[in-house]
Amino acid sequence: MMHSLIQLSIAVLLLPLLSFVVLIFFNRRLPRMGDFIGLGLVGTAFGCALTIFWQVVVQHYDPAFRLAWDFTWLDFGNVPGVGPLQVKMGIVIDNLTAIMLAMVTLISTLVHLYSTGYMHGDPKYGRFFAYLGIFTFSMIGIVLSDNLFSIYMFWELVGLSSYLLIGFYFYKDSAADAQKKAFLTNRVGDIGMWLGILILYSQYHTFGYQEIYEHIKNGDFHMSQAWLTAAGVLLFMGCVGKSAQFPLHVWLPDAMEGPTPVSALIHAATMVAAGVYFVARIFVLLTPEAQQVIAFVGAFTAFMSATIAITQHDIKRVLAYSTVSQLGYMVLGMGVGSYSAALFHLLTHAFFKACLFLGSGAIIHAMHHEQDMRWMGGLYKKMPWTFVTFSIATLALAGLPLTSGFLSKDAILAGALGFAQVEGGGIYYLVPALGFAAAVMTAFYMGRQVWLVFFGESRTHLKPAEDHGHDAHAAHASHGHDDHGHEDHGHHEVHEVPWNMRFPLVLLATLSVFIVFSPDPLDGGKGWFMHLVQTPATVVASTEAAHEGANLSVPEAGKLLAEAHTDTQHVETAPAAHAEAASTEGEGHGPVYADPRQAEIAHMTHANHWNAIKLSSLMLLAGIGMAFIVYVFRIIDPDKTAQNIRPLYLYSFNKWYWDEIYDATIIKGSMLISKILAWFDANIVDGIVNGVATIFRKFAFFNGGVDKYVVDGMVNFTAFTVQTTGAVLRKIQTGKVQTYLVMVVVAVLGYFAFYIAQLIK
Amino acid sequence: MLSFIVFLPIIAGLVILAVPASQKQIIRIVSLVAALAQGVLAVLIWRHYDPTMAGIVAAPGGSPVGSFQLIERIPWITLDLGSFGPLRIEYFLGVDGISITMVLLTALISIIGVLSSWPIQKQVKGYFILYNLLSTAMMGCFVALDFFLFYVFWELMLLPMYFLIGIWGGPNREYAAIKFFLYTLFGSVFMLLVMIGLYFSVIDPLTGSHTFSLVAMADQANYIKGTILGPGSEQWRYIAFAVLFVGFAIKVPMFPFHTWLPDAHVEAPTPISVILAGVLLKLGTYGMMRINFPLFPEVFQAGMYVIGVFGAINIIYGAFCALAQQDLKKMVAYSSISHMGYVLLGLAAANSEGMLGALYQMFNHGTITAMLFLLVGVIYDRAHSRQIDKFGGLASYMPVYTGVVIVAWFASLGLPGLSGFISEALVFVGSFREPITRPIAMVSVLGIVFGAAYLLWSLQRMFLGKRKPDALYELEVDGHGHEHIHFHDWKGKLDLDARELTMLVPLGIIVIALGIYPMPVMGLLTTSINKLVQVLAPVAMSAVH
Repeated sequence: MMHSLIQLSIAVLLLPLLSFVVLIFFNRRLPRMGDFIGLGLVGTAFGCALTIFWQVVVQHYDPAFRLAWDFTWLDFGNVPGVGPLQVKMGIVIDNLTAIMLAMVTLISTLVHLYSTGYMHGDPKYGRFFAYLGIFTFSMIGIVLSDNLFSIYMFWELVGLSSYLLIGFYFYKDSAADAQKKAFLTNRVGDIGMWLGILILYSQYHTFGYQEIYEHIKNGDFHMSQAWLTAAGVLLFMGCVGKSAQFPLHVWLPDAMEGPTPVSALIHAATMVAAGVYFVARIFVLLTPEAQQVIAFVGAFTAFMSATIAITQHDIKRVLAYSTVSQLGYMVLGMGVGSYSAALFHLLTHAFFKACLFLGSGAIIHAMHHEQDMRWMGGLYKKMPWTFVTFSIATLALAGLPLTSGFLSKDAILAGALGFAQVEGGGIYYLVPALGFAAAVMTAFYMGRQVWLVFFGESRTHLKPAEDHGHDAHAAHASHGHDDHGHEDHGHHEVHEVPWNMRFPLVLLATLSVFIVFSPDPLDGGKGWFMHLVQTPATVVASTEAAHEGANLSVPEAGKLLAEAHTDTQHVETAPAAHAEAASTEGEGHGPVYADPRQAEIAHMTHANHWNAIKLSSLMLLAGIGMAFIVYVFRIIDPDKTAQNIRPLYLYSFNKWYWDEIYDATIIKGSMLISKILAWFDANIVDGIVNGVATIFRKFAFFNGGVDKYVVDGMVNFTAFTVQTTGAVLRKIQTGKVQTYLVMVVVAVLGYFAFYIAQLIK
Repeated sequence: MLSFIVFLPIIAGLVILAVPASQKQIIRIVSLVAALAQGVLAVLIWRHYDPTMAGIVAAPGGSPVGSFQLIERIPWITLDLGSFGPLRIEYFLGVDGISITMVLLTALISIIGVLSSWPIQKQVKGYFILYNLLSTAMMGCFVALDFFLFYVFWELMLLPMYFLIGIWGGPNREYAAIKFFLYTLFGSVFMLLVMIGLYFSVIDPLTGSHTFSLVAMADQANYIKGTILGPGSEQWRYIAFAVLFVGFAIKVPMFPFHTWLPDAHVEAPTPISVILAGVLLKLGTYGMMRINFPLFPEVFQAGMYVIGVFGAINIIYGAFCALAQQDLKKMVAYSSISHMGYVLLGLAAANSEGMLGALYQMFNHGTITAMLFLLVGVIYDRAHSRQIDKFGGLASYMPVYTGVVIVAWFASLGLPGLSGFISEALVFVGSFREPITRPIAMVSVLGIVFGAAYLLWSLQRMFLGKRKPDALYELEVDGHGHEHIHFHDWKGKLDLDARELTMLVPLGIIVIALGIYPMPVMGLLTTSINKLVQVLAPVAMSAVH
């Protein structure tokens, strides 16, 4: 009998799919194009997810809770050399799954509700809800999967869903470009992920996480350790694609071509979260080297995209780059071993980023598809609900104490500091440094955004004339305006959005406050999340020292590591404190790690808690202060500054020119190769074929001449002879077709047999 | 049962012979009935098939016909050749896991082909007679277990195919037809030589005389020492393997023998393209699995790597060439080359996952490519052009068509949830698992990206964005302000009509269903594939020498 939680989770998975199937076929025949079906089914899924959440998170409240179920999907039979072999598909429910399910379905439901307002009047209104359904379905599939194969399948389905939604306005070239770019960029990452899966499968003949980890733990990985590192990094490439990490981040800002509710879904709950979630699932097999790669990729991404966000004009683009930047934090967190902090940030970010996107959608909706912040301003009076909720979410993003964002970001940065110290300082300090630098910029660009949008005078009239009107609107479609076509353009009064768009904003802003996650506004570690989602113990033997250390008692191993890192001041107190932390479950949270490196990092992360708080608060003040200086007090003129540092400004404004670089190298290169190969195929390969044919034809022509005069002459002579002989031989003919056929066959075979007999000799 | 499924179409052909040429509708209906009856038989065979029986080869000491099913075996031509001993050619049919999938596929594609031939107006009578002949020959190839019989069916395919392309084809049809004909003939001449060599090297333990039975040939114990292809004659076995491989590789088609395919496809009428890509290409890889590899397992072991490399070349080279094509049909033709590369790669891995993936890919490629060519035909019927750049924004005007195109295109690029994904994935799983083919697999994954690239790019250029200024159709705005398009001399329905949907929807359902749960087809294959892997394994070889 299936556990009731499993049944519920299957319902959560299938209800959005049902919504997709019903709506894709019948949306035009249903009243209101079936939006109530989409909302109803996904809402029901949310209800189921909430029940799971209640039972698992609230009632059990056990960090070790785990429930699994699977069935045989493929049966290979008795495979030679392996034995009976099956591919199983299954579901695993643990605390993380329960939390993710609730988060994904909640945000999806809110996005559905919001879209009933935002997308109202669109000719493909019904299809929009169908696509939202399959998007939600695919994401839930990733969350529930218990093995690498099914996660890869849902992973690609997320790719398809994003393709459909980003290209929702497919009649715009920019949207069609963006959807293709998103899919292909993701596929590049998927190749890596797939190779990683293949490495693990080739060792163990299974795709199941749990089995793979058991095997690695038992040390029966038959390739060298480098392959395990490679497997980790390759699997991580999948995350690089989906979670838009450098160097595959380029698709995400373009994905703004999709309708704004989609952006909220992609950026908060579904697609980009999938990457980080996946890294969490494979966390325990990451070798220290793989973790370092991940940490640096995350740190660099966080920093780079923050620098880009500073100069963008489009309200959604700023948010897009902030998403990339925040994802960088999460990946960084995974890399430095702060597993639970990274996931915590994933959760808090989901709520406040969804709020920001839906808020920006409200603004765009109210401003009649104006997305350029330069022509906004003064909206706080006209849209008070939007203003308040947007501001709360902004503060959470910037990491102000009392918000949820502060709790999670601080935890990651503390982890980064701890990581740098354990790894031995030096270059590794770059990781927290980039993280803190990104924090300054985050505070700055979000301050800039709030100021430009909500404060000051309305600048609608300042917009250059050629940007007005419907035609220009179409021409500037590349900015990613949402085309509705249900309202006239031009000057209108700006109004607050209706309740179905306002309610999601209020709820999401509420979920961005610290008290939802932790009773202590300064320490997320005291909250329920960090208690339930604890960093799992690694299954990989980390370093040489650690390998030896595995035979030592934990405090001794700590000492060993501490000796290796005495150049960092914080570590000096480590051995004693560490022993305490390891043996007494230091201060009531965090499990005991047998692996010395992991134990060391956990300890140093904890030790750096206050350092991180101090530093990040300082960064926050610096960033917001800068924003005030520039935009509120106008002490520094942003335009003049931009002129003064023009190359730097352009570098940021043009997104470090990554698009141009990729276009010039990879895309142009591929097209060139394809043209060359097509030419080669048509002229060389086929040319040889035709050439051979020509030679034969020439020969045949010559042969034909010989044939006509020499051979045929002989034939005619022979015919004459035959005719005469035939008259005699006619007597022995039977007239039966079978006999003739047999004679022909015998003759042919006889000839060949003779030929072969010759060859054998 | 198998005789019925093989010869039903030819009976229909004979009936058509008696129908006056003016009765076009009757001719079509007779063909359709035959194809449908074939389909019913195929389903019956499928239901009666016992998937626990392996086939492939006679078990040592077991039944001489092995664990094949639905066997029909009678002496066909028996002759005394004096010093060479008696010549025995048998009428020997039977199915195992490898062939039953192909039988199902052939029956399915034959029905689709008849439906797709409905609009053909030129010499309908001749067309359908040839079509039915082709149908019989294809089916015969997949169930024949006597090499000679196989060869007869193999050659029998050439003739109707030549005329079907050469008469009912496009502007350059004669060139394409003769190229197809000569290329394939070139391959089959070598096959004939090897066949005769094999005949004189193998003794059927049952009769004690030479035999063409593939079941007997697949058992290395039946080879006589000192004969041309028997043990101790390694050189000749290598040569025989190579020429046989080339013969089959031409059909696949494998680089560098592939250039007949784009030409044949571009010129062939839609139903013939469907048959060509859907069934005929599979004969190449089927021949490898049935004849080429199990008869020469030790040569195959030595050549695995090379075959894998050619598979990878097919995958990547085909994808790049597809990317550069302007003609949609040519693009789909190159995509076939690319996708058949996966079959080769899976075969080269020679383990259960790879071989399963290869065979499953053969089935899936059949259904998916049939869809692709049908869809190309739909737009060609309307616009009389297949130039990708001449279209644009079609999604706004032909939503149902676009929807089906998206299913087929994404199936072709290997989207999970659609059948093509599972087979490609298994091919990679299998080829990566073998250390020898691992580097090849690592390179071939690039095909995943480039495959997506050409398909999505063509999708974008034809269906998304705006209508192009020099597009092949005219724009009209009706009273409600809605835009419509019409093609110049197309009188029919703009979007897919009932006949087109009848062909496409079942294929689409199969593609989706087998992508979600592959066991209905996969379950038929596993026992046979595992057996085949054993036959090909080096362990099996050591027993021979």
